Amino acid sequence: MSRAPAVRRIAEWLIHAACRRLPADERGERCREWTAELPAILDDESVHPPFRRTLRALAFSAGISRTTRRLSRSSLAGSRRTRESQWRAGGLPARPSDLAVRVARGLVVWLVVVAGLVTLITVLGTGPHPSTWPLLIVVALGVGFDVYCLEDIARAAEVRYLRKWLWVVICLIQMPLGGILYLSIGRVGPARPVPPSSLS
Amino acid sequence: MKLTGPLERVLKVLVADPAAQHYGYDLMKAARLPSGTLYPMLARLQQEGLLDSQWEEQRPDAGGRPPRKYYRLTAEGARVARLELARASAEPGSKRNVAARPAHGTQGGAL
Repeated sequence: MSRAPAVRRIAEWLIHAACRRLPADERGERCREWTAELPAILDDESVHPPFRRTLRALAFSAGISRTTRRLSRSSLAGSRRTRESQWRAGGLPARPSDLAVRVARGLVVWLVVVAGLVTLITVLGTGPHPSTWPLLIVVALGVGFDVYCLEDIARAAEVRYLRKWLWVVICLIQMPLGGILYLSIGRVGPARPVPPSSLS
Repeated sequence: MKLTGPLERVLKVLVADPAAQHYGYDLMKAARLPSGTLYPMLARLQQEGLLDSQWEEQRPDAGGRPPRKYYRLTAEGARVARLELARASAEPGSKRNVAARPAHGTQGGAL
């Protein structure tokens, strides 16, 4: 039925992950509502070219993620304690696997970055005087991003999952992707401090 | 109910034909809003009793498409929406004012 089953599956997976934030009694219904919108988006003939439908479906899922975050914060979901118990009553894993969601988010960012760079190269490289400078811009951007990541690792008091030097190696080997992975997974940002229990 | 820019757009779409059933993507396109803005708003309107939702009947010609959820204004919702829209258009410069103050339950009121 769908033109892009893989895209649909990815988007569905993202929506499912987002829905786990909701209390168990609303989760199933909301999830069904939102995944049912995907065929309409992916088969929307008014959007050209088809690639834009893919982007739209992914943007839709990202919006659902924002929605569930907002809904779970609002009074709709009740107090934190009742939410926790409702989560457990739902029979699903208590929370979205933090790591999986972060990896997915990192991959989406990576895809967007690569798509942007490819567009930049084609737009700049097919002018009346094709030259190598678009490539240089891209390389400069990549190096700049990497330097930012390395600096962040160097300054961080703590990084997640791997040792600092391993993150440095990953950042250097996989130029754009490594840095994005570090920022999405490995970074201990100020917004998510390490709980004291794991520090001692 | 305080009228923000996005809320105003959604209400305009809904009031245009109060009997019509809208599904989420339909409203997103008509009001030109991202899903992250639209759905929290729909949830709030529904909680306030201004919006009613129902599941689509599974039709054999749907080609295996999952049933959608459709939204429609309640009688109270249509009344309130018309009132608020009329009030917003009556106030000169109201756009700027409503954009400056975030509505209850939404984040930011920017257009």
